Amino acid sequence: MTTRIGIDIGGTFTDLVFLDPSGQVLRAKVLSTPEDYSQGIANGLAQAVEQGLDIRAIAQIMHGTTVATNALLEGKGARVALITTEGFRDVLEIRRLRMPVLYDIRWRKPTPLVPRQLRFEVPERVDAAGAVERALDEAAAAAVVDRVLAEGVDAIAVCLINAYANGAHEARLRDLIRARDAQVPVTLSSELLPEIREYERTSTTVVNAYVLPLVKHYLESLDRKLRERKVDKSLTIMQSSGGAMSAAAAAERPIHIIESGPAAGVVGAAELARRLGGLSLLSFDMGGTTAKAALVHEGRFLRVNSLEVGGGINIAGRLLSGGGYHVRAPAIDIAEVGAGGGSIARLDAGGALRVGPDSAGAAPGPACYGRGGTMPTVTDANVILGFINPVALAGGGLPVRRELAEQALQAEVAGPLGLSLEDAAWGVHRVANATMARALRAVSTERGRDPRSLHMLAFGGNGPVHAATLARLLDIKHLLVPPVPGLFSALGMLFPEVEHHYVRTAKQRLDRLDLGSLEATFASLEEEGAQALAVEGFAPRQQRFERLVDLRYAGANSELTLPFPAAGAAEALRDHFGAAHEQQYGYRSDDEAVETMSVRVIARGGSPSQVPERLSLSGGTSRAATARSVYFGPQFGALPTPICGRADLGAQWTQGPLLVEEFDSTTVVPPDGRARLIAWDTIEIELE
Amino acid sequence: MNQLTDAQGLAPAEPGSIARDPFALELIKNALVALADEMALTIYRTARSFVVKEALDFSTALFLPDGQLIAQGTCLPFHLGAMPFAVRSVMRTYPGRIRPGDLYITNDPYDGSTHLPDIVLVKPIFHDGVLLGYSCALAHMTDIGGRIPGGNASDSTEIYQEGLRIPPSRLWRDGEPDDAMFRLIERNVRVPDKVLGDIRSLVAACVVGEREMKILADRYGPGPFEQHCRDLLDYTERFTRAEIAKLPKGTWRFVDHLDGDGLDPKPVRIEAAVTIREDSMVIDLTGSSPQVRGAINCVYPFTLSTALACVRSIVDLAIPNNAGYFRPIEVIAPEGTVVNPRMPAAVAARGITGIRIGDAIFGALAQAVPHVLPACGSNAPDVGISFGGVDARGESHVYLEFLLASWGGGPDRDGMDACTGTLVNYSNAPVEMIEADQPIVVERYALVPDSGGAGHFRGGLALERHLRFQVDRGTLQIRSDRRDFPPYGLAGGGAGAPSNVSIVRAGGKEEACVAKFLTTVDKGDVLRVRLAGGGGHGDPFTRDPQAVLHDVREEKMTIAHARDAYGVVLAGMPLAVDASATHRLRAKLR
Repeated sequence: MTTRIGIDIGGTFTDLVFLDPSGQVLRAKVLSTPEDYSQGIANGLAQAVEQGLDIRAIAQIMHGTTVATNALLEGKGARVALITTEGFRDVLEIRRLRMPVLYDIRWRKPTPLVPRQLRFEVPERVDAAGAVERALDEAAAAAVVDRVLAEGVDAIAVCLINAYANGAHEARLRDLIRARDAQVPVTLSSELLPEIREYERTSTTVVNAYVLPLVKHYLESLDRKLRERKVDKSLTIMQSSGGAMSAAAAAERPIHIIESGPAAGVVGAAELARRLGGLSLLSFDMGGTTAKAALVHEGRFLRVNSLEVGGGINIAGRLLSGGGYHVRAPAIDIAEVGAGGGSIARLDAGGALRVGPDSAGAAPGPACYGRGGTMPTVTDANVILGFINPVALAGGGLPVRRELAEQALQAEVAGPLGLSLEDAAWGVHRVANATMARALRAVSTERGRDPRSLHMLAFGGNGPVHAATLARLLDIKHLLVPPVPGLFSALGMLFPEVEHHYVRTAKQRLDRLDLGSLEATFASLEEEGAQALAVEGFAPRQQRFERLVDLRYAGANSELTLPFPAAGAAEALRDHFGAAHEQQYGYRSDDEAVETMSVRVIARGGSPSQVPERLSLSGGTSRAATARSVYFGPQFGALPTPICGRADLGAQWTQGPLLVEEFDSTTVVPPDGRARLIAWDTIEIELE
Repeated sequence: MNQLTDAQGLAPAEPGSIARDPFALELIKNALVALADEMALTIYRTARSFVVKEALDFSTALFLPDGQLIAQGTCLPFHLGAMPFAVRSVMRTYPGRIRPGDLYITNDPYDGSTHLPDIVLVKPIFHDGVLLGYSCALAHMTDIGGRIPGGNASDSTEIYQEGLRIPPSRLWRDGEPDDAMFRLIERNVRVPDKVLGDIRSLVAACVVGEREMKILADRYGPGPFEQHCRDLLDYTERFTRAEIAKLPKGTWRFVDHLDGDGLDPKPVRIEAAVTIREDSMVIDLTGSSPQVRGAINCVYPFTLSTALACVRSIVDLAIPNNAGYFRPIEVIAPEGTVVNPRMPAAVAARGITGIRIGDAIFGALAQAVPHVLPACGSNAPDVGISFGGVDARGESHVYLEFLLASWGGGPDRDGMDACTGTLVNYSNAPVEMIEADQPIVVERYALVPDSGGAGHFRGGLALERHLRFQVDRGTLQIRSDRRDFPPYGLAGGGAGAPSNVSIVRAGGKEEACVAKFLTTVDKGDVLRVRLAGGGGHGDPFTRDPQAVLHDVREEKMTIAHARDAYGVVLAGMPLAVDASATHRLRAKLR
């Protein structure tokens, strides 16, 4: 009873990875089944049984799902009513006013998740200090609740002004609702996110209510169907924050599982970094339409405290928010750009080559797939360069027609520019790299970290193809390609601990810090965490709590989240904050006042990772010694390049050029690099 | 076959050869834009004041040694093209004396800035002793001294009243800050912690720009780097000309007005004539009012920026923001007018004039490309609120916020309700943050039903904001507009509802206010600001009655307004369109 499964359901494929305590890894890749995702999972299980999996050995199932994200992107969530303070019905629709793009008169803001007629006001007011300025008008509130229920909504969100400081009126509104309806899901902002800023809190509360019925239904039915298939072990869900939570907790607070897929890859990267002695690295995950980057610092990933869903892929989004639905919930700090294998290359009116962000997607896909695509893509360029097998992808399952790639690139790029096919393909490859470098910079240089001091860990179907050339652009010398690079997100699902995040605004100047009240706030957040963990079956001795505090120079825009020290809080915090500010922003100003904004508690359950020391892959096929010509740019030209499998690499360095072909990706080792196999079946590449 | 050079730094390019490497353009552009954005992020994350951090009223840019702009951060469109003036002012003031370790400051609207609250920093970047270029950062300060808190008073009559005026000067010398300059600023502004905090964040941005531009130059080699940048400017010019060439040719005119100059409520005229030639444009503001006595005069760099930002919206968004984009566009603004005043005209509230210049240019452009541009919105900050004073503890407070509402109806869509426009990219201050930081309670922040201009595609709704003051003897300065001349409709669409401002005194008496005024408010007084609605586009009597019904269901429109402005008769339970009554009413109203 000890095999654990990581399941990553994507738009096209469902990936499953099975790990037993000895480190034996099985994998399955099957088509997703959107009408009933559990069917895809069953198909994957069947595939694994053929490889020797014992269903009865399954101890735990870890799952990442896009069901919440899809509901938001497709506008298919619940019919929600919002109750708010008189005078503030439109906060949800007004948003922060900002556009995510400049000059664009075609941009449209996302439709509010609650239409105006379902946004209700109640007479009441709490002030910024939490004092009741105007008591909740009970009669008016009861009348509003009656109207809300008469609308027959699927869920109710309650977000009152300044409820972060005092949630009594929100709690009273829930009582009024419960007195009339015991079933309808109710999300209170003061419970979900007692944090200052009414738009962000309202939006988060509404998103939670909007996806809650769907997520709950999905998780319950998945659990049921797994049990029907004799898999009756606990279902754990990946959070955007990189932690896990029980399916039951996820069903109540689904805002935490929105970015569960991308998070899993970074969790895997962090686990690998710890295995390798606490490395600092950039994780680089390149798929078909986007590339994602994250920083892992000494084996730990970094988090941000909010994310946006459905804003489109826009690196400037880190500066200009407002494109999607705002969710204030902890998430791994991941930067994403619209460049992937399917990104389309074309010339603009000024004659410059552009790659992406539009993508050929899964259909028609790159020209070389022969499914009707006529525009050249990054994958087409990589086929022409020889980086990608010019005959077949995915272990031979997907035929590739090089001549179609050549025709498309000739027509759109090489011909108009008067270049050879190879030079044009090299250009497409480099321009895609330039875009992806922005994502890597966003999580390194923009965060005060020099990428040259970091390793790069490349995964996703296309990550290992671009890693070496991209690393050159950032002067990174050390590359890592993990096992099952194309299914690495599913592998990453196996590593997180169960954790819950709690936050409460506590705005105080450090020089007048009231430690007693902070202690009380921490204690009450820990109590909440202890209760949630107890429900999930964690005894007190298995519970651990981490205290964090958000600090800023009084009145600054963004806070830095730091550990709350056990002793000497005010002085130590001041010092730690100054140092962190200097690292992040390049300066500190010790004569300025520092203030706390919010306190945070992360409650964790269980023993630290049950990850085996070694991984061994089944079916790590050794390939017959073959070779093909690969174009490595004008410096090296086209070189005959040997091809091998991962298992052919040893602990000794093998000098490039070299291609390591596997069924889910190809690792490119350039002529000025060398490769070897290190712990955890990972390929290490060193560039000169 | 062309010989490619490798822009990844493996093989330095020969000067002049890059034009034949189309990939180098994309790579260098990407790197420069990313860098300017990185500078902007530095400011965004470290700035202190509401106006910088919530209104994003700041910009960052990089320049060549000759002062040509090579990249601008994703910041305030209104600043597009204004920062080159700061760099040129520094170059003019310190010819041959710009040294490594220097950092320059100016806020003089007649010498590098566009009004006193905008402090601009310029940092020369040296590479092995040779000038490589400049990094530059600008932000709107919450206060700059002068007679009125917030530095935006519209009723000053000379620049000398408007606050601390800093000519191009050294802020750092040999890598060390000039304490005297910092102390001078500290002593002259009301909220020195906020202002100096913001200046520090500008310094940090300039330093990031310097560090990263040197790394870029190392990668390419300084000579090839500069050549790549010049090629990028040429490419941008080609791209812009190709885009302009697609537009119809001719001259189009439009006239709009401001509600008074800040002292005198007499309308102030803004006239724009746009001429589109084969592959260039002329925007001529001749015919605009002579310069005025109040503080809404708009200096030329701001006028120019506005015009450049307007054109940006009708050409390919992928055109980079650099000096190459400016080349095909000429902007004429006669000296001595409200769009190009002479010293010592007061200019603090020039923002409102910039908005109106934009509205006039868009009005002219909309005739050239009627299928593209929307009717006039209220989506730029037509109303500015400055509130300040000293609280019971003796601490100064200044609250500065610029309010905006909605878009005008477009040729194929309704105007967006509550969204910033293309000239600014302001955010609003969160109610809870205002209440936590200021002696203010926000009583209302909401859409105003029926306030969008009627049209086949309606204008966006107005917004209203009510502020209750919590302290006595506060100074309140309001600079509002769009009351006598509300946002215009197009193609038969109606104007948006006009703006309005009033004060309900603590005793309950409501006082009507003029558009621009200065007053004292006490505890319990409530300021009520209602912005204008966006203009409508097309004939309202052709609007889909179902769309009207939808608005009524959403309570964005009343049944009476549906009938009066759209000729749509709604009746029944649940509410539905009475098609025949609507048909009859529309025939009658026409």
